[in-house]
Amino acid sequence: MNHFFVFLKKELLEYARTYKLLILLTVFIIFGITNPLIAKLTPDLLANFMPEGMTVTIPEPTALDSWAQFFKNTQQMGLIVLLLVFSGVLANEISKGTLINLLTKGLSRQAVIAAKYGAMLLVWSVSVGISALLTCIYTVYLFPGDPVSHLIFAVFCMWLFGAFLLAVLLAASALAKGNYGGLLLTGCIVVVLFSLNIIPGAAKYNPIALAARNMELAAGAAEPPALYPAAGITVLAVLALLGLALAVFRKKEL
Amino acid sequence: MDVLREYWLFLLPLIIAQFALMITALVHIFKHPTYRFGSRAMWIAIVVLFQMIGPIVYFVFGRGEDD
Repeated sequence: MNHFFVFLKKELLEYARTYKLLILLTVFIIFGITNPLIAKLTPDLLANFMPEGMTVTIPEPTALDSWAQFFKNTQQMGLIVLLLVFSGVLANEISKGTLINLLTKGLSRQAVIAAKYGAMLLVWSVSVGISALLTCIYTVYLFPGDPVSHLIFAVFCMWLFGAFLLAVLLAASALAKGNYGGLLLTGCIVVVLFSLNIIPGAAKYNPIALAARNMELAAGAAEPPALYPAAGITVLAVLALLGLALAVFRKKEL
Repeated sequence: MDVLREYWLFLLPLIIAQFALMITALVHIFKHPTYRFGSRAMWIAIVVLFQMIGPIVYFVFGRGEDD
């Protein structure tokens, strides 16, 4: 446990020093502010770009539009930036050989994997938390009184999907070689997950559902129990992926 | 200008965040002569021209080693 915290601290320091922390926090802060603003301004912008004399009726934006922006941005740009920033999570230290010293001095490989995942998860949690909080504050300010349902659970699903992707990235980085091998493998796995939805009945258990059905939850079109199977599978998958990452990393020559 | 007056509460932090990212990237570019690829002029152009995306791309792909 002690090793875990020492290495966790080292990881977080490294994130600060290599600008990873700065990038993620700034990007998610920017998203947090932009989401409600875009929702509010879209009708005005569209009206400005329309040719003279043409009238289109655009429904008045609501808080739901603001949250639709939040889920869309977090899911697309947010997760892409997250994976890009952490793409060298294992490869960097393996290629530089900086881990060898620590491991020969008695740091367990288990602690390395656990702390690396813990540090990434912590940064992701803080980032998505700040983004959701800012979106929430500004949404209430711009669209007071609009109803949004199951918001905390919808954001939790988004967070869980991010946590799942980070576990995929860690396992993929342990398996693949080089700086971008892990990233490439993660991309392939996401594509496979998307195509699994073709199989009838699979969509219910697919982790993808956690990132796809947030708006249904927020709009009240779906109830949280509809996502329990996918959430359960995702938690199990995270544990299995961490186990896999550890098993591969144990055997890895450094 | 109405939009500016009405929404400064959003735009101000947004602009500050974008600039913080850009300036950190520029400082890093000027302090480090070597990049994984590309030249100093290229990275300055990318960071200044592409808000938010530019600095991210620089830090993730372009940043040379510190030592």
